[in-house]
Amino acid sequence: MSELHVLCKIADAEYVLPAADVLQMESFTGATKVPGADEQVAGLVQIRGRVVPVLDLRVVFGLPTISPTIDSRVVVMKRGDRTVGLLVDYAREVLKIPPADFQPPPAVVTQQTEGLVKAVVQAGNRLLMLIDFTKVIGEEREHAE
Amino acid sequence: MPEALIVDDSKVMREMEMACLRAIEGVVFTQAASGLEALERLSLKPFDFVVLDLNMPDISGYEVIEFIRGQDKLRALPILVVTTRGDEGSRARAMSAGATRFMTKPFSPESLLGEVRALTAARPGATP
Amino acid sequence: MTSGQSGSQGGGFDSADFVAGFITEAEEHLALANANLLSVEDAAAKGQSTPRQVRELFRSLHTIKGLAAMVGVEPIVEVAHAMESVLREADASAGRLPVGAVELLLNGVRAIEHRVKALEKRQAVPAAPTKLIDALSTLRPSAPRDGAGDGEQTTLAPEIWSKLSGAERSQLVQGLSAGRRGLAFEFIPTPALAAAGLSITAVRERVAERAEIVKVVPRSLPTSERSPGGLAFVLVLLTDGADAALAEVTAATPDAFTPVTLVARHAPAAAPVVEGGAVEDELPEDALRHRGVVRVEITRLDEALERLSALVVTQFRLGRAVAAMRVAGGDVRALAPIVTENGRQLRDLRASIMRARMVSVSELLERIPLIVRGLGRSTGKVARLALETSRAELDKAVAERIFPALVHLVRNAVDHALEPPAERRAAGKPETGLLTISCRELSDSQLELTVSDDGAGVDAAAVARRAGAPIPTTDEALLELLTRPGLSTKEEVSTTSGRGVGMDVVKRIAVDELRGELTMRTKRGQGTTFSLRIPLSITIVDAFSFVCGDETFVVPVAMVEEIQEIDLGLTTRGPDRRRAPRPGGDRRRTARATEMIQRRGQAVPVLRLEEVLGLTSAAEDRSAVESGGGGSARRKAIVVRRHGEAFAFAVDRMLGQQEVVVRPLEDRLVRVHGISGTTDLGDGRPTLVLDLAALGGRLVRDSTGAPPP
Repeated sequence: MSELHVLCKIADAEYVLPAADVLQMESFTGATKVPGADEQVAGLVQIRGRVVPVLDLRVVFGLPTISPTIDSRVVVMKRGDRTVGLLVDYAREVLKIPPADFQPPPAVVTQQTEGLVKAVVQAGNRLLMLIDFTKVIGEEREHAE
Repeated sequence: MPEALIVDDSKVMREMEMACLRAIEGVVFTQAASGLEALERLSLKPFDFVVLDLNMPDISGYEVIEFIRGQDKLRALPILVVTTRGDEGSRARAMSAGATRFMTKPFSPESLLGEVRALTAARPGATP
Repeated sequence: MTSGQSGSQGGGFDSADFVAGFITEAEEHLALANANLLSVEDAAAKGQSTPRQVRELFRSLHTIKGLAAMVGVEPIVEVAHAMESVLREADASAGRLPVGAVELLLNGVRAIEHRVKALEKRQAVPAAPTKLIDALSTLRPSAPRDGAGDGEQTTLAPEIWSKLSGAERSQLVQGLSAGRRGLAFEFIPTPALAAAGLSITAVRERVAERAEIVKVVPRSLPTSERSPGGLAFVLVLLTDGADAALAEVTAATPDAFTPVTLVARHAPAAAPVVEGGAVEDELPEDALRHRGVVRVEITRLDEALERLSALVVTQFRLGRAVAAMRVAGGDVRALAPIVTENGRQLRDLRASIMRARMVSVSELLERIPLIVRGLGRSTGKVARLALETSRAELDKAVAERIFPALVHLVRNAVDHALEPPAERRAAGKPETGLLTISCRELSDSQLELTVSDDGAGVDAAAVARRAGAPIPTTDEALLELLTRPGLSTKEEVSTTSGRGVGMDVVKRIAVDELRGELTMRTKRGQGTTFSLRIPLSITIVDAFSFVCGDETFVVPVAMVEEIQEIDLGLTTRGPDRRRAPRPGGDRRRTARATEMIQRRGQAVPVLRLEEVLGLTSAAEDRSAVESGGGGSARRKAIVVRRHGEAFAFAVDRMLGQQEVVVRPLEDRLVRVHGISGTTDLGDGRPTLVLDLAALGGRLVRDSTGAPPP
């Protein structure tokens, strides 16, 4: 995997996402709500002509929601044929993290986050968590013929 | 301005060949997607050389070569035969049918270019 | 995948540039190979040989091998090579494949398809399947056959006859023996004809539409005015039609046609392969191939549509600006017709792009024969497929959605509906079950696809048992039970039909997503027919825009019966039915009261859209205003109809009417009942397109206490 990762913050915690999967990052000024969608779906946004569903990672991680701030970002990720935006409080830095530095998270973390945190890494004196994008978007195995 | 006839029923193959041969100064490409089309083109306008695939529908590359060699005005036309490897015996058959040179896919751009230059250098007054 | 060398002498050739072209061509050849293999298998079962198909198969695999080698995908080269060797041998033996070859070759095609897909998705291409390659290499060639060549003679000129291969001679002789008419048609290319578009390729295409071409043979002619190129092409044909038709499309004179007949010395027993003598008809695929089809990557069309969508928005803005100018007293006489013309041109442009996105029905159904064949094998039931396609085309977005539904119906038919051979025999039916898929255009914008089987019919009693409902008396009621979500008979969870799409999803796709219809007719012991009616295109609609609960929405004009003004103070209110919000936070069905209005002698329920959609904060404000008694309670209501029932959705205010490009919501996170997609009204934010009919329908179901899907 590439070494570049996007650093984002949600509440006080710091997370990373693989830059290779990131299409773009945009400021967030609100989304069109989708009545009937899951609570974690903040809504739909239009970015560069593309309509993208946005997941509020605060809701996904069980945190209270906040009004968008000037730092709020939608990180648009693409994996396979799914393009989904993740709403975070802050996302501006890109870090270079060698794959070998990632460690599996403690078992209790895996359990409590239901696998949403895939790995952890030490960067300086911070502990960063790697988000499992496929788990977040609820990707099940496709039943193809 | 060398006039080149590129014959292959695969469009992407023709594009690859033309990309390789663009280095020839002033080259002008005419494409044909079948042996029949190739013969038709050849009958209506003079060409400096032909790059010909053997594996085509309607009539095979061999038949095209035989027909070309049977025509007075085309007897000396340089023909480079390009075919996929594994076609044992095709080289001998192509050469005896009258091909000038023979090469197999996959080829590198340099080798195709080299073959064509060798093809056209053999002709007096040719512009390689 | 290795990338090609980009040598300076080679003019910057990078094989990576050509991968997309390779994928397109490979896919075409693979589809053709599948069709040919099924045709070969079919014919072999009847004892017929198929030299043309085998030749074509050989060529397809040979081409794939060469292209794969050029772009450096070794695993595909290996499989293609193994398949090509088998096919070359078969081609040399007049088109006979060894026993078991078809199955292995079909597996080979699948193996290549799999790897091409991986290439397309930029994933690692799996290594070559060694077991399959070994199996292909150890196929024993069948006993060599005589070409049916020299035993028979025809009146075809000897120099032409000598150019025909054994297989082609067979083809001609068999065709003539079957009573078809043979023709040798001479075409002489000239610069004038070429300039008029009549090249040999064009002539060949046109002739192929009306006759079967055995071979096209080039002939030398002395150079003359008639033949400036010194070249003529002789097309050897088999036809059932009149020469006049051929002459017309090729600008030929009658003397260009020479009849070809048999000079038979004895009955064609020398061609032992043929029983009943019919030669394979020209596959429809052939006609497609020569049609000059350009395959455009669908993403490019989607891009074009997005740009068009932006143009539509700009046009809309332009229109509003001109209107504003007019209102402000400006002189817009010169401007207005230009804007109108612009709108007209945009509509035409849109129509062209939509046409380019069309997929023919035969392309949609292309894979079905393969699926039926595979199902037959795995269930032990014998099934035959009859496809009756039309020239109809549908938008790719529709085709992609309807395909899984179609596949499920097909699987259902083979899995459940068709009885095992023994049972069929006992019932006096032919052992081979018959599955018929047919398609016809109903009107300019609707297509009807039917999937029919001659199996056991649907067991209403069994279904009723599973659903815990009374035995339905009509087919409609039975279908309603069958499409209830969560209903699965024990058999449905069998290996082939179990996971994935169920009958409820088929209905949802056809009815909710595509706004079509699903109906069923069934008879115990005789069979079942499912009919899917779907609109051909779903992307551009005329829509009303409106505001509700401080949000803007649109609804397709076609769905709206009427827009009425109603006085919310004057509705008839029924008993207050408070319902607790569901766990999980879906607040959509919190109904406050049952309201109705009188409309043309009928009672029509009034639903406050903001409540239906769960925009409750606004709803609270509104009802506060109303109960306060002050202010106007007049609102606009959009009346829609669903299965004969009318619903009036009260909204805040209507904005206007315009054509919008609807983008379906693809991602499953936002695939929600009642929302057809999004559009852009010019503010750069997605605006939801509502399916009010579906929302109304859902409320009816919920009110009967049925479990939510």
